[in-house]
Amino acid sequence: MRASLFITCYNDTLYPETGRAVVRLLERLGVELDFHPKQTCCGQMHANTGFRGEAFCQAKRFVRMYQDTDVIIIPSSSCVAMIRDQYPGLFEELGNEELRRQFVALLPRVYELSEFLTDKLQVEDVGAYFPHRVTYHASCHGLRGIHLGDRPFRLMSKVRGMEQVSLANLDRCCGFGGTFSVKNGEVSSAMLAVKLQDVMATRAEFCTALDNSCLMHLGGAMHRQYAGMKTIHLAQILASTEAEPAETMS
Amino acid sequence: MSTPSNSRNTILERVRNATRTAELSSDRVAAYEALPRAYIRKGRLNAAERVALMIERLREYDADVIETGPEGLAGAIATQLKASGRRTFVAPEGLPAEWMAGGFEWKIDHGLSASEIEQCEGVVTGASCGVADSGTIVLHHSARDGRRVATLLPDWHLCILNASQVVETLPEYFAGCSIAPTLATYISGPSATADIEMTRIKGVHGPRFLNVIVVRDLAQN
Amino acid sequence: MSQAGYHPVLDPALAPPFPKAALPVLRNPQLRKNVAHAIDVIQAKRARLVTEKSDWQELRAAGAAIRDHALANLGAYLEQFEERCTAAGGTVHWAADAAEARQIILDILRRENASEVIKIKTMTSAEIQLNPFLEASGVKAYETDLAEIILQLGHEEPSHIVVPALHVNRSQVREIFAHSMGINDLSDEPKVLTAAARNYLRQKFLTVPTAISGANFLVAETGSVSVVESEGNGRMCLTLPRTMITLAGIEKVIPRFTDLEVMLQVLARSATGERMNPYTSVWSGVTPGDGPERFHVVLLDNGRSSILAKKTERQTLRCIRCAACMNGCPVYRQTGGHAYGSVYPGPIGAILTPQLMQMHHAQSLPYASSLCGACYEVCPVKINIPEVLLELRSQVVNQERRQVKKFFDPMYLGLRAANVAFSSASLFHAVQFFGRIGLKMFTGSDGWIHRLPSLGGKWTQTRDLRGLPKQTFHSWWEMRQRATRQKEAG
Repeated sequence: MRASLFITCYNDTLYPETGRAVVRLLERLGVELDFHPKQTCCGQMHANTGFRGEAFCQAKRFVRMYQDTDVIIIPSSSCVAMIRDQYPGLFEELGNEELRRQFVALLPRVYELSEFLTDKLQVEDVGAYFPHRVTYHASCHGLRGIHLGDRPFRLMSKVRGMEQVSLANLDRCCGFGGTFSVKNGEVSSAMLAVKLQDVMATRAEFCTALDNSCLMHLGGAMHRQYAGMKTIHLAQILASTEAEPAETMS
Repeated sequence: MSTPSNSRNTILERVRNATRTAELSSDRVAAYEALPRAYIRKGRLNAAERVALMIERLREYDADVIETGPEGLAGAIATQLKASGRRTFVAPEGLPAEWMAGGFEWKIDHGLSASEIEQCEGVVTGASCGVADSGTIVLHHSARDGRRVATLLPDWHLCILNASQVVETLPEYFAGCSIAPTLATYISGPSATADIEMTRIKGVHGPRFLNVIVVRDLAQN
Repeated sequence: MSQAGYHPVLDPALAPPFPKAALPVLRNPQLRKNVAHAIDVIQAKRARLVTEKSDWQELRAAGAAIRDHALANLGAYLEQFEERCTAAGGTVHWAADAAEARQIILDILRRENASEVIKIKTMTSAEIQLNPFLEASGVKAYETDLAEIILQLGHEEPSHIVVPALHVNRSQVREIFAHSMGINDLSDEPKVLTAAARNYLRQKFLTVPTAISGANFLVAETGSVSVVESEGNGRMCLTLPRTMITLAGIEKVIPRFTDLEVMLQVLARSATGERMNPYTSVWSGVTPGDGPERFHVVLLDNGRSSILAKKTERQTLRCIRCAACMNGCPVYRQTGGHAYGSVYPGPIGAILTPQLMQMHHAQSLPYASSLCGACYEVCPVKINIPEVLLELRSQVVNQERRQVKKFFDPMYLGLRAANVAFSSASLFHAVQFFGRIGLKMFTGSDGWIHRLPSLGGKWTQTRDLRGLPKQTFHSWWEMRQRATRQKEAG
């Protein structure tokens, strides 16, 4: 199975260890991965802040870049949601019929990481070992945007050594919301405080999710507060084995 | 400031420009008829189950519900009236004479004033329909249902509901309205408010006590 | 009883932007607790009933379709409503804007020589700021809904469209009632407070001959109005007075009487978590001998026709004012309604308010959302609120980016720069490289950033940011590719 990795702009810059984990995990499962060297961003940040013209540029670039790619894997449900929810409107508005058709052809080939594992590879046990107490945070884009459903839970249930603790009020937003976190910094922080109460109550060692965006927000507060819990992307848990434990950078 | 008819034209013109729909009413009717209605229209319960559900829902609202056969109705009414400890009752114009039990003061509503009705301690009426799913009593304010004020001001309301009038779902009620009523009141429990700290308090305005007699008027199978 | 020094202003033209307006609320644990408690109660009830209703999704689909169809054919249905209502004995007026609606209502009241009017809760009347106008014109308006009485007597503004006084707790209510009703030893038991309100209003219902209501639905086919309520004050107002005035936005129209079978099922469950609310009234025009002798409907545009014209935004008008969106909103939960500076707060307010203002005001509201989508999930008529928020954001940006002062706004500068960077991999990589070096000066010895300037400072108010790793993912990949190629070559 061949696939192309779209790492996302923020993972490339801020969380390369997530990307390395995705590579290790997928190669272990027999996937031949490639990486388009010219990739940058899907345009979500711009689209969500109202900079539609700018988002067009990035969307066009993405579609042109991947038009001949069979499978694209993205370890970020918010970027996948951008492509599924907002690209159709963008391309319709753009009025370029050829590009729109290229996008429509491309769309079914885009996978969020957990979708790729459970739906395309049809695996749940990825051979992971992560002997820690972990709670899972359901990011809104994963939950309501692309309807991941129980995929993450099915994958987590097969991780050896891991104790999974459920998070109360699982469907409540953590307050990140992209530029919302700075445009409405105080409200974002209030939502974060409320979310953190539920997260800390699990007494887990790690809070995981399929989006580093939420984890950056939650983890940033944990670090500020010397909270005694860390965040880690689910890819890193799934990549973790006895021989090569997850890079749990502090 | 625009004169009234100007605003009418202004608004309708804005609306027409905004929607640019074909003015053919046949298209509009066709579009209306094609609207998706995959929700539950007809219930699944049989008559006895429907009535049981209606009674259950009414009791959830703390309504006092008893059942009787048609022969026992007059007696059941008398019993309920006696148990209420009240004496003066409003009777809608079309209330059957045999329902007006003796030993009580009946004010027949040939157009009573609000203050006259306010003096009465209770009211007895029929109903037009009962919707079991939500325990809703439907009044179309016929001569037997009574004028709207009659079921509003008195503190105690006794409603006579025939089992044959009970449907299961709200769509069944609407399907049964061959002509839309000019007046309708749907009662689903006593008046209530939760405006203070979400604490539900019953009986703000409108009757605090709802009594229902369900008449088993359906043929037994 | 407003907080000392904080007077909520629910005029979107005057209200402070949302981030600023939210601040005093965020620092008020009592208020946040009141709001969270109220919405938790309704949400729990709603959730139980939605689970019970096996055809809930089908009802939502039908609700959305009925509302969309009514909006798409609004002109025809409004005319039909007018014709049928008039034939039934009502008088229909058309108000292009708030000022005209206020004047029409005042003219009717003056013709009736009314010095008082009793009102059923209607957010539409708050939208047009009716009460202060009537007061200034010599007509005293008495609210009869318990929450509205609390607000009126306490000189407060509504913070929710279904439970407008949810931000007020029982001891605050006690204080308001004791003070304005002149009752000395009033307890703060909700039962006692409610009884006090009941007594206070009884005489008003029986004596004031003019009433004003809103409408939950206008039925075109029959020219009927439907009002949905819990307390019975609505029934009082629309039965006892001699003259009845209903103020309704033009978008309230539904095509046929039977459409109520969908709307009533979804409204009650969404608004108060009940299968059906205690009292729903439907009436057409005037019925001699039963109810008011004179009935007026004032149809209000006030910006709705502009919303109707816009493709993505039109769905805003589907709204049936159930407030499920704000009950489910994690932002509203923390800020309550006043922070939105409008009688329509929460998610629906964030899209409706700026649009009613023709995007001249309330531009901060479309950003008062983390785009979590909880509102869309619960909306009984499937308004895709996030989609409309995004559309409005792009309109705000298009407005603002032409302004000179916004050119140097850090958000605008940053996003324009980012777009340039994202247009080419080499540029992007260069920005990453220099960005990391630039951020080094803010990075502590623990490898984390604790303080950033400008917009970044909003992040570091409460969060740290891990310092940029030395090696980006793409560099690592390239390095690995090189190593593999060398191995293969060598």
